[in-house]
Amino acid sequence: MSSAYRDPILEFKDVGFMYNRGKKFISNLNLKVGNGEIIGLLGANGSGKSTILKLAGGILRPSEGLITLWGKPLRLYKNKDRAKLLCYLPQILDINVPFRVKELVGMGLYPYEVTPEMGVDEALEIVGLKGKAESYIKNLSGGEMRRTFIAMTLLQGAGLFLLDEPLSNLDIKYQIEILKLLKDLKEQKSISIIMALHDINMALQFEKVMLIKDGKILGIGIPDSVLTKDLLRIAFDVSIDIRRHDSERAYISYENSII
Amino acid sequence: MIFIMSLFIGPRVMIPFALSDLEKEIILSIRLPRVLIAALMGMALGASGALLQGLLKNPLADPYILGISSGASLSAALGIISGLYLFGKFTIPLMAFIGATFVSAVVGILGWRRGGLWPERLLLAGIGLSFLFNAALMLIMSVSTDEGLRRAVLWIFGDLSIADWSLIPYGFVFIITGLLISILRAKALNALILGDEIAHSLGFSVYRERFILFVSIALMTSASVAMGGIIGFIGLLIPHIVRFLVGADSRILLPASALCGGGFLCIADLIGKSVMAPMEIPSGIVTAIIGSPYFLYLLRRKDVLGI
Repeated sequence: MSSAYRDPILEFKDVGFMYNRGKKFISNLNLKVGNGEIIGLLGANGSGKSTILKLAGGILRPSEGLITLWGKPLRLYKNKDRAKLLCYLPQILDINVPFRVKELVGMGLYPYEVTPEMGVDEALEIVGLKGKAESYIKNLSGGEMRRTFIAMTLLQGAGLFLLDEPLSNLDIKYQIEILKLLKDLKEQKSISIIMALHDINMALQFEKVMLIKDGKILGIGIPDSVLTKDLLRIAFDVSIDIRRHDSERAYISYENSII
Repeated sequence: MIFIMSLFIGPRVMIPFALSDLEKEIILSIRLPRVLIAALMGMALGASGALLQGLLKNPLADPYILGISSGASLSAALGIISGLYLFGKFTIPLMAFIGATFVSAVVGILGWRRGGLWPERLLLAGIGLSFLFNAALMLIMSVSTDEGLRRAVLWIFGDLSIADWSLIPYGFVFIITGLLISILRAKALNALILGDEIAHSLGFSVYRERFILFVSIALMTSASVAMGGIIGFIGLLIPHIVRFLVGADSRILLPASALCGGGFLCIADLIGKSVMAPMEIPSGIVTAIIGSPYFLYLLRRKDVLGI
């Protein structure tokens, strides 16, 4: 794809946001997301992860500053045009209507007048749900449900995925499955992903993480530089450290035994 | 099929190919308008039930939950006991339609917040208003001695016997408009069922789509109540039955619910006017008596929708 594109696809410039009449929730936020980049967005509950993703998705409008997508202000895009460039998946996927997998995945084509090349079957194959096309959504496991929605967003054809805690409430097996799938998508289709997380161990697996607290960025970069004892203490208000055995991956450790 | 059957079967069965003048007259001026009204009402209720269940994300929603019907009843009852019959035979339908539209607007206003309609607010506003209007209706009925009220009560339970041609053009326009709008916006409804954020992500303007769908529900329900009163079951259970049979995709569900609703009300009306002739059983009762067992049968028999 357009790997030659060097400018950020998504950029926050001095973005501020406040919920109705509340005090400023996010202020002076600056952020650049490059093509094919995966960013893990880490912070405590209520730190502003979802708000940042919703701002990026155009679901919320910034009260100050500017958000641009491919260099053009986000708010100037028509709904359908924006939908072809970015997609947003909320944390909770609660569908109480008996859609079948193929019906739900097919909704990814709604922004298009003319059906693009990829079809429902291909999208299901990519996420590994080929045999489940006729199943009801409700009968899927949590991991399959996530993958169904990811198949939908694949059909949507957007180059930027905004995922709000896609790993929450999943067993570790499915968490790894989803992460692998997203990594493949990044590598094969150079899709950029911003993903909210609250598991520090998971964040340690990312190439790039962004740590936030009260709507402000504490640090952004590789985990080694961002997930430090001091910053984590500020972000989560608890004393934890990152340890590493020789060449193994890092993991978190609590300063004192808890129980 | 159902439509044609309903024309020729009734308290008096007629042979389509050997009609006397009297029979032609009966068919043209009594049965045909009645069948048309039943079909239109059934379509409106089936489709708006399916719409509303999706819009409110609540399987228990039926078109009357928005309070439209109780507003219509109250307004019609007021029209009757005022004794003025201002608009002749149009009094009941017209008053009902005014009441229904007024309540739709009030529910819409109460359900409106921060630039859009909120499903939970709509639902609660509708329920609150229903209680208020029903209480007012009961009050009127308990203190009034007006003879016309008996008619009002009958009408409230779904009375197609006053059907004649005069109402059909109006009903047709409102119901078909609402139906077309909703079918054209079926994709948006599908997306809204997945949640506002996903609908937004798929490129829909959430508030606008929800407003359009609400208006089409209000149009169809108001017109249906004005034409023949309140008929239960169809709006609530026809969409479920149709979902059992054709699935949940609104692009199929909406037209299919309209067709099944229309067909079903024709049959119910046919049965209601035939089995105990010359007495009539109100259609609202027949729909529930024959519809509910079928619904329960489907629920038992099928591995329904993965529940």
